[in-house]
Amino acid sequence: MLKVKNLTKKYDKVLAVNKVSFEIGSGEIGVLIGPNGAGKSTTIKSIAGLLRFDGEITIDGKPNKSIEAKRVFGYVPETPALYDSLSVWDHLEFIARAYDLQDWNDTAEKLLARFDMDDKKNKVGKDLSKGMQQKVSICCALLIKPRMIMFDEPMIGLDPKAIKELKEIFFELKDSGCAVLISTHILDSIADVWDKALIMNKGEIVFNSTRDDMALNGESLEHVFFSKTEGEGEAG
Amino acid sequence: MSPLLFIMRKTLKNRTKEVLKKPVLLIGYLFIAVFVISMLIVSFVMPSGLIRRGSNDLYTGIVTIVFIFMYYTTLKLGIEKGSTYFRLSDVNLTFTAPIKPNHILLYGFIKQLGGTLIFLFVALCQIPNLKNNFDMKHYGAWMILLATVFYALSYPLISMVMYSWAAKKSGRKKILKRALDVMALLIAGVVLISLFSTRNVVVTIGNVFNNPIARYFPVIGWTSSIANASVNGFTTEFWVGLLGMVFLILGTIIGLYRAILDYYEDVLEGTEFFEAARKAKREGKNLTFGLKVRDSVKQKLSGTGASALFFKHLLELRKTAYVLFFDRSSVSVIIAAIMFRLAMPKGVQEVSLSMVLFFALYMLLLLQMQGRLGTELEKHYIFLIPASPYQKLFFATLAEHTKNLIDGIFLFALSGILFKAQLVNVVSCIIAYTLSGAVYTYSDILTRRLFGRIHSKGLLLFVKVLVNILIIIPGGVASAIVLLITENEFFMICALAGWSFVLAVTLFMFSAGILNNLETVN
Repeated sequence: MLKVKNLTKKYDKVLAVNKVSFEIGSGEIGVLIGPNGAGKSTTIKSIAGLLRFDGEITIDGKPNKSIEAKRVFGYVPETPALYDSLSVWDHLEFIARAYDLQDWNDTAEKLLARFDMDDKKNKVGKDLSKGMQQKVSICCALLIKPRMIMFDEPMIGLDPKAIKELKEIFFELKDSGCAVLISTHILDSIADVWDKALIMNKGEIVFNSTRDDMALNGESLEHVFFSKTEGEGEAG
Repeated sequence: MSPLLFIMRKTLKNRTKEVLKKPVLLIGYLFIAVFVISMLIVSFVMPSGLIRRGSNDLYTGIVTIVFIFMYYTTLKLGIEKGSTYFRLSDVNLTFTAPIKPNHILLYGFIKQLGGTLIFLFVALCQIPNLKNNFDMKHYGAWMILLATVFYALSYPLISMVMYSWAAKKSGRKKILKRALDVMALLIAGVVLISLFSTRNVVVTIGNVFNNPIARYFPVIGWTSSIANASVNGFTTEFWVGLLGMVFLILGTIIGLYRAILDYYEDVLEGTEFFEAARKAKREGKNLTFGLKVRDSVKQKLSGTGASALFFKHLLELRKTAYVLFFDRSSVSVIIAAIMFRLAMPKGVQEVSLSMVLFFALYMLLLLQMQGRLGTELEKHYIFLIPASPYQKLFFATLAEHTKNLIDGIFLFALSGILFKAQLVNVVSCIIAYTLSGAVYTYSDILTRRLFGRIHSKGLLLFVKVLVNILIIIPGGVASAIVLLITENEFFMICALAGWSFVLAVTLFMFSAGILNNLETVN
């Protein structure tokens, strides 16, 4: 579903991402992990079509910046930013219009209820806490019923109930055949949800493996993470 | 376009509803509306050139200098950070949606039309002053507003194109910035050479900026020529400027609209930067936002209890200032105040220093409105320090007073030499400037204490300016009366200083209570 081939991104003279390639299949949950400055956000922003890059990114077989690709992917950014004067419901209505969704009201109501936002439908963006803004941002991305979805540090600012709901949603998305890519640097938050782990360090993918393969080799994600990001000496 | 029009329609509707629901907000906006309408009426109805009739060349020069400064600063920032019509919410929700980038650009441009209102307001406030000093045509005010609109619409477009070009290859940013700097240096060089031969600032400004190259120079010359129609009438340069700007704006938009657009990255950095700037402004930190912090400054912190705040502020000031406390606000106040005096008629030589003082206080009012203490009040530390609120307030503002004192010494020593003033007048101006700075600082805190719960920071800022103007007026009136009676500038400045001292102490006593409770600030 998501194919990234030789993705390279340079800011002036700084090489932020260097020839990164990976794939996330339908019904697969991939996690993109790495220390601060590893190039995760640049990778995510490139996939979301916000940056120019060298290489090739396709979503459902279409170039990621095409209108067709945009119709099928959702994006939850690291920093939720809502329109100050638009209510929670207005945001959902905007998304429904922008993606030309039909019969979306029911889905929107259910999503808001899951995140305890159903009583805040009329609150405007600037009156929401950061956590609430994050919930609206997630609802907007889910409303389109995406075939591929990206979450950039999705747990930050969420309350325990919302984190629990979100984890359930990850599994529901997987069951529905959606490809999910989660970027984070908090390993504990995604410990039990991932199928494929992609570890980035210094702009490169330094590890790419599935949960099954790692289980066969007796590797733990935390151990591999530290061995790959803190130098071979510690890998032991 | 339909989803994008939905955002604009809903935003307008919800904002109107919000204002109607909150009486304080409604009163505030009604007050601003009355103020703006009054300004509009005054600007358009008042006769021109009653106080004096400055030459059209001087007017042209001033207008051109203002536009050079505005284009230079905004384009330089645009090259560095990109320019943007968008908010982060647009990036997150519209850039990733299946909407054509061309439509999104058009939506951004329509939004920018709303953004020009603030520029129009600033321009509107300058019109009465210009009408008092120059012989403007009856349609002059319209021309100033028209030029302002063209400026506000063109600079983001030009920045976007320049940034887009510069971002494609490393080194191009430097080339563009150097080109702008070279142009600025060339202009400064020509002004200095002319000044050397004429030894007259007014004549120099007229000579340098009122020649065909300046009048027809793309963008800056065109914009200035539109504004200059307010005194020169509809000359050829006006029509060239008008057509030039129309073609530039339309051409750039059509070019961008028709091109296969990939501008998201170009506006992303700018959007993030301006979002951070907006946040800093809301938190009262816009005076220090974006300043380079010099790591090389090494200074040990000292002081205990409340006085630790003072030494911390000294260190912060030293890290962001050019030399000692000399930062961009010092430079702005000093240059603007001296330039103001130089542009005034020669017949008022005996009150030269007080003219510099009054204009410097006007500038300080605008610059200090979002002072450093605002940053301190946004954090919890000052509230937790185990000391009395009076001690904390005194030490938390002492660095600001010290800075004002040093700026004052620079400004009035320089003015004293330039205008051959007496030493007692120089000293009294320094004291009056420092004390008036204290009035601004403490009235800012008191306004926060009284109106801190107003959610609109813009409205709060407006209230602060108004409060300051109202409390400083009696001092101004008293000093004018003293001047009439004594005919001595020294006594006039002393009257202002005396009033400022009384005000500063009173405001200090009433505002210290703000440090008892964080809730009164936020």
